[in-house]
Amino acid sequence: MLILVAMGLLLIVTLIPFLGAILVAVLARLGRTHAAWAAGFTVLLSFGCLLPLAGAPFAGETIIQRLRWLPSVGLDLAFRFDGLGLLFALLILGIGLLIVLYASYYLSERDPLGRFYAYLLLFMGSMLGIVLAENLIQLLIFWELTSLSSFLLVSYWYPREEAHNGARMALTVTGAGGLALLGGFLLLGQIVGSYELSVILQAGDAIRADPLYRPMLVLVLLGVFTKSAQFPFHFWLPNAMAAPTPASAYLHSATMVKAGIFLLARLFPALSGTDEWSWLVGGAGVITLVLGALFALFQHDLKGLLAYSTISHLGLIALLFGIGTPLAAVAGVFHIINHATFKASLFMAAGIIDHETGSRDMRKINGLWRKMPYTGALAMVAAAAMAGVPLLNGFLSKEMFFAEAFSAATHLRLGWLLPAAVTLAGMFAVAYSLRFIHDVFFNGDPIDLPRTPHEPPRWMKVPMEVLVLLCLVVGIFPAQVVEPLLTVASTAVLQGPPLAHDLALWHGVNPALAMSVIALIGGGLLYWGRKPLFAFHDRHTEGLDAERIYNALLNGLFAVSGALTRWLDTGSLQRLLTVVIAAALVLGTAGFLGDPVPLTGRRPLLSVDGVSLVAALGLLAALTGVVVLHRQRLVALILIGAVGLVMALIFVKFSAPDLALTQLAVEMVTVVLLLLALYFLPPHSPIESTMTQRSGHGILAVAGGVGAAALTWAVLTRPYDSITDFFLANSVAGGGGTNVVNVILVDFRGYDTLGEITVLALAALGIYALLEGLRLDGPVDDPKGQPWDADVHPAIMAALARLLLPLALLVSAFIFLRGHNLPGGGFIAGLLTAAALIVQYLANGIAWGQERLPWNAQRFIGVGLLATALTGLASLLVGYPFLTSAFTHLHWPVVGDFELASALVFDLGVYLVVVGATLLILIRLGLLHRFERRSARARQGTAVSGEMP
Amino acid sequence: MNFVAPDFMPVLPEIFVLTMACLVLVVDVFLEQQQRHITYGLAQVTLLATALLLLLTFARVPVTTMFGHYIKDAMGDLLKFCICLAAAAVFLYSRDYLRQRDLFKGEYFVLGLFGVLGMMIMVSAHSLLSVYLGLELLSLSLYALVAVDRDSPVGCEAAMKYFVLGSLASGMLLYGISMVYGATGSVDLQVIADVIAKQGTSNLVLVFGLVFLVVGLAFKLGAVPFHMWLPDIYQGAPTSVTLYIGSAPKLAAFALLMRVLVDGLGAFQNDWQQMLIILAVLSMALGNLVAIAQTNIKRMLAYSTISHVGFLLLGILAGTPEGYSASMFYAIVYVLMAVGAFGVILLLSRTGFEAENIDDFKGLNDRSPWLAFIMMVVMMSMAGIPFMAGFYAKWVVLQAVINIGFVWLALVGVVFSVVGAFYYLRVVKCIYFDKPEQSESISISRDVEIVISANGLLLIILGLYPTALMTWCSTALLN
Repeated sequence: MLILVAMGLLLIVTLIPFLGAILVAVLARLGRTHAAWAAGFTVLLSFGCLLPLAGAPFAGETIIQRLRWLPSVGLDLAFRFDGLGLLFALLILGIGLLIVLYASYYLSERDPLGRFYAYLLLFMGSMLGIVLAENLIQLLIFWELTSLSSFLLVSYWYPREEAHNGARMALTVTGAGGLALLGGFLLLGQIVGSYELSVILQAGDAIRADPLYRPMLVLVLLGVFTKSAQFPFHFWLPNAMAAPTPASAYLHSATMVKAGIFLLARLFPALSGTDEWSWLVGGAGVITLVLGALFALFQHDLKGLLAYSTISHLGLIALLFGIGTPLAAVAGVFHIINHATFKASLFMAAGIIDHETGSRDMRKINGLWRKMPYTGALAMVAAAAMAGVPLLNGFLSKEMFFAEAFSAATHLRLGWLLPAAVTLAGMFAVAYSLRFIHDVFFNGDPIDLPRTPHEPPRWMKVPMEVLVLLCLVVGIFPAQVVEPLLTVASTAVLQGPPLAHDLALWHGVNPALAMSVIALIGGGLLYWGRKPLFAFHDRHTEGLDAERIYNALLNGLFAVSGALTRWLDTGSLQRLLTVVIAAALVLGTAGFLGDPVPLTGRRPLLSVDGVSLVAALGLLAALTGVVVLHRQRLVALILIGAVGLVMALIFVKFSAPDLALTQLAVEMVTVVLLLLALYFLPPHSPIESTMTQRSGHGILAVAGGVGAAALTWAVLTRPYDSITDFFLANSVAGGGGTNVVNVILVDFRGYDTLGEITVLALAALGIYALLEGLRLDGPVDDPKGQPWDADVHPAIMAALARLLLPLALLVSAFIFLRGHNLPGGGFIAGLLTAAALIVQYLANGIAWGQERLPWNAQRFIGVGLLATALTGLASLLVGYPFLTSAFTHLHWPVVGDFELASALVFDLGVYLVVVGATLLILIRLGLLHRFERRSARARQGTAVSGEMP
Repeated sequence: MNFVAPDFMPVLPEIFVLTMACLVLVVDVFLEQQQRHITYGLAQVTLLATALLLLLTFARVPVTTMFGHYIKDAMGDLLKFCICLAAAAVFLYSRDYLRQRDLFKGEYFVLGLFGVLGMMIMVSAHSLLSVYLGLELLSLSLYALVAVDRDSPVGCEAAMKYFVLGSLASGMLLYGISMVYGATGSVDLQVIADVIAKQGTSNLVLVFGLVFLVVGLAFKLGAVPFHMWLPDIYQGAPTSVTLYIGSAPKLAAFALLMRVLVDGLGAFQNDWQQMLIILAVLSMALGNLVAIAQTNIKRMLAYSTISHVGFLLLGILAGTPEGYSASMFYAIVYVLMAVGAFGVILLLSRTGFEAENIDDFKGLNDRSPWLAFIMMVVMMSMAGIPFMAGFYAKWVVLQAVINIGFVWLALVGVVFSVVGAFYYLRVVKCIYFDKPEQSESISISRDVEIVISANGLLLIILGLYPTALMTWCSTALLN
């Protein structure tokens, strides 16, 4: 068990703050002090868990702990603990503890302290996750978590406008950077074949030689630069100053912004050593260094000054890593420690001042020395460390930095520019440090402050005292205090043997010392002559603002999105259809062009005979007629009927009399149906689109037609295996009929037919239900103003129709009976019967029909369905599966030999359903307008009821 | 001729759903309006019992039946299980919404059940015939569902558009099916694969068939440029229907792609990979970009769906088992997120008020901290933020794409995820940082609260420990 715990100790260290966050959030209900104690205890506990491992880095070991997590994607929870991890973990936990103490005094009674601690601990856990990660993906996850939890911290005072604006900007920039980093890590993983740091750090040469090195480096650096506020992504940091000052002191000095730097240090052995690295990292570093220092001087907001100063120092560290020599890296690591200590204490000082005076404007807060000398003294020491005054820690690392900057560029043409820029930045750093001290603590009297300043509570100063003490101790006794830690951290960064470096205070007179002296004196002079500089700044630096670019980009994104919406998302159905069809055409054409296969297949073509030609021409003529005359609805309908007729003839030509018959009957019934519907519509369709639209649609339609024709051509000219032979061979043997189509319907595919007629029956009932109670207004007069139907039921037509009925019924009976062996069958017979009956209704009126045929059509349907189902069940009774058919031959007197198949009963059912459904639908449609008609007629004095049009 | 009855046992869940749907239909006719909860209860029982049935009969080895039209395998069973649970959650979330709008009728639940049946058939389709059958059963149910509020002009317009466009797409799909049938002589996906393996891929008719199949499937999925129905339908339909359309059908669509493209036309992988790349990139780009400008949250989520479809396609086009299981994981997680997102929208709506605009979410945290939290989890998961299930979904898909050497494609995915994160987080900002425009408190039934909480928490749990689901997905695809 103990071993298990020890194995997962790093996981526990990382997890404790997360669990603590929940604990704190819960305990906060009990009171503020509970929350503070719980938070402090959590940090201590995490620290305590880290202690047993702390010896290992000093012994030169790297601890790697691995827990299986997502083996399927090759993702383990892997933790790495080496010098660099130790250094950062110490910073995170140590300063974190001080912040917990500080915040409990800083935040007022009204602020929910529990929430702050919960966010802070979340952030702390995420930060620990980054610095202790062995796996890059795991690192990335925690990286994004720091963005999120810092978002929560910055927006802690969210009712304030600037709080959530600043938080959102920080999240957008760092979050986007995190995703770029993900891209970079994906590429890195692709190059190395692993996301494990221990593999990647050994594979530096392979990485640098890979063709993907450049894109990968750019993406990784995007992540680093956004997180560590490097130019041109620095703008979010000053805006994030809306955070409560304890959060700023923690996030924006010691931890979050250092995450990017941490990654630079972590990946240093793998990525550095190329020109790309030097130019990108060094370039961004030096620009950030100078610009940050420059802007810092001109801030009137105390925290704004510190924010820009932080940017500048981050640039300094980045530049050191960009220089790329081992010694520069050591200096970078050293400055990470020093910057964290003095900047955190300065932020705390700013917080105390803000807390006690109610303002952060340096134009108002002056002369605080008399009110709060103790705080002032501490702040002065820290600011001096920031300026790089000897005997303080800032001096040491700055000295190393100057030395590296001087030696790095000497071999380059214009190499003197680097030391010059660095010295300039040093001067500004001295100047803004001076301003921090002089403006705030001296420089006359305070100007209308909201509160009367005095020293803060005793314990609020303790965190600052600790940090300032560290600045002093490190500055005076570097070799004793910080040397071992720096050595192990540097070893981890360089992945090599410890490097000899000299942390002495005095290195003799060398260029670095000269640069320091110039910076100190120049800075003093700069501050002396600040007034004209300030005036110049106010006039001229409006345009130099990356925040504007960010906002412009954001607005641009909205504009693009809006334009796309307006262009594509119009909601017009025509537009939608156009896009779908056009896209299908494009894809189809691409598929055709992409394949070097001829359109025409190998199948020999049939010769063209006269009849077919005439039929085809007739078909074309009718179709053209439909297209041209489609606005005259009645004409168009008749032409469509003609098309159907030719189709029936084509079936005849290809020896499918059954299909032809069916087609014919269906055609008839459909035309009647459409006629009934047409009655309610105006005779002409209106023109609703412009000529351009119509021509566009016309072109699309022609293209679609050509495409479909080409496809049909391609399919029809290719050989295929017909399934006809099977049915021809089995029709008589298996189904007892020579009409294959009918045998298929009632036997081979009996199940399907049963389903189909059920659907037909359902459809009829559905239509019945839908139309029940529905009354529509039909036109009473034609366009010329004459009654629509002057003679409702012409006597000649009525008489002829009645004569036709027995004949038609006889034909349908004949067709039904012969169906099994010759063209015909229940379906066609049903349609014929229905048509014959409909003719009666049409010619004589529905009332006349219903008098003579009183049973309603639903009964036909019910009996029909029952008959088919029973046929199927009968075979079950005899012991065969459902719907097995049987047939036998009877010898009838007069008729002769007659085959009796069980399929016949089945077919009868089909017949009944078809008749019933067709009648039901058509009569219902005919009845739609009955009452309207009656009332219209009633007004004219001739009451007629229940006619069909 | 003798009719040989197929083995009905593997189809048991479908038969059960069908029977129950018919039963619910009939029972509902005899119920008074105040007894309508019986319909609801029966529908829920059906779904949960089907889910249980699926668990009990979970396929260890694939079985085909119904003359090769139907296959029961682990992938299908897992997806069907998820479909049933998703539909059950949909019904639950919709219940109070429908009640308040006088839409609490049998139609919604019966059509919903038939839709589920359609999805199950799609998932288990082993021939182009059953593919089409399932797809149409689902589509027809959806067309009617969109218009379930007959008095809403927006809803009817949406339904009409959906129907016209959907029919066009079905037509194209059928066109493709007929060509594939013409070229191979079979609709059985296995036979088709065998025939293609024998005759090679240089058959023009087959290529055309493939194109039209892809067009039809892309339409049903909502991939750009066949996406245009989606925003209108999402916005126009009653939210309870949008919830239905936006959730479970995506699982069925995934299964469809797997069955048709991978199982049936796997030999054409080079061809469909090209097409899917185009569709995926366009979907991710357009979906994410256009979503930014939307003020209606249903419309925004419609575009977000389009972008997620793009991601889903990435995994499939990778053409590796790893990619398929990544896509499957993505689909399941997506459904979980969609159900959660629309669920919260449903819960915020009340009589006479639709929480349709992003502004309606302002200050949600002050009105209901727990719902606000769940919505935040869903949004962050959709954005793909680590420790949410959505992150792993994106991660595994990208990993699959990278492994076949398409690093650029993965980068495109990453870039558009960044764009996407923007509009999801805007909703989070509204929830937490804006002043509420209305102060009415939100009342939720206990059971709904439990399920929506589970829904949100599941996204976190799957984010922390996705292994189980990931393993299910990959083993389900293996056998």
